[in-house]
Amino acid sequence: MVATATPEIQPGVVQTTEDKPKSGLEPGYLVICWNDPVNFMDYVTHVFQVVFGWPRKKAEFHMLQVHEQGKSVLARESMEKAEHYVHQLQKYSLHATMERDE
Amino acid sequence: MKLIQATQSRLLFQLGYREERLLLHILGLYPCVPPAHRQLSKGGRLPEPEANQRLLDEALAEHRADNKKQLQALLADQRRFEHTETGARLSLSPAHVDWVLQVLNDVRVGSWVLLGSPEEMAVDLNETTAPHFRAMEMAGYFQAQFLEALGGEM
Repeated sequence: MVATATPEIQPGVVQTTEDKPKSGLEPGYLVICWNDPVNFMDYVTHVFQVVFGWPRKKAEFHMLQVHEQGKSVLARESMEKAEHYVHQLQKYSLHATMERDE
Repeated sequence: MKLIQATQSRLLFQLGYREERLLLHILGLYPCVPPAHRQLSKGGRLPEPEANQRLLDEALAEHRADNKKQLQALLADQRRFEHTETGARLSLSPAHVDWVLQVLNDVRVGSWVLLGSPEEMAVDLNETTAPHFRAMEMAGYFQAQFLEALGGEM
């Protein structure tokens, strides 16, 4: 991610260790946002606030994880919900994916 | 581009003549991110991966079509986009700003993808890369202005 005012490159991670998923309805899917050198840091914070309804501080915390560690786990959800969040994040052109939590 | 008035429900921007032309040019590039760029999963360990990827592709295609329509409506709405002697005045609700940010980011990210998704922004400029680099930077310029304006509202 890049700082908003100066379009420069900067990267970001989070690791989670949770129990294995049991079915598509149980929260066994991680919503992950990955770092890239093109999205502005302020923009990423804004998107997290809008998509997850988070307060600015929490959104900034996850944005910084992406930036500094390469990725951040934003949510652990059922498959349907995780898919919903990934769709929302991708509508904002963020690099987000869902992964099975194993 | 300058924020000249901000209330809970409306943000009013003043754009110079060249800024107006640039903004229209950048918005006209939408959509820019190639559809195949979006992947639902990196690990690929989801059930029915192809069907789920197709769902994402369809949802994004529909979203893009809606955005394109909204964009045309916005630019044609003189209450929102008013041409003046020195440029234009753009009146947007915070929700509209959020939406314009989405459009601009599509242009920024799409231009970056067209540049080959470089990790470093020091791009070797030539006839092919220069237009993409310019679009990426200009979209970023307008994003920064809108984000700053929104900062006070959130």
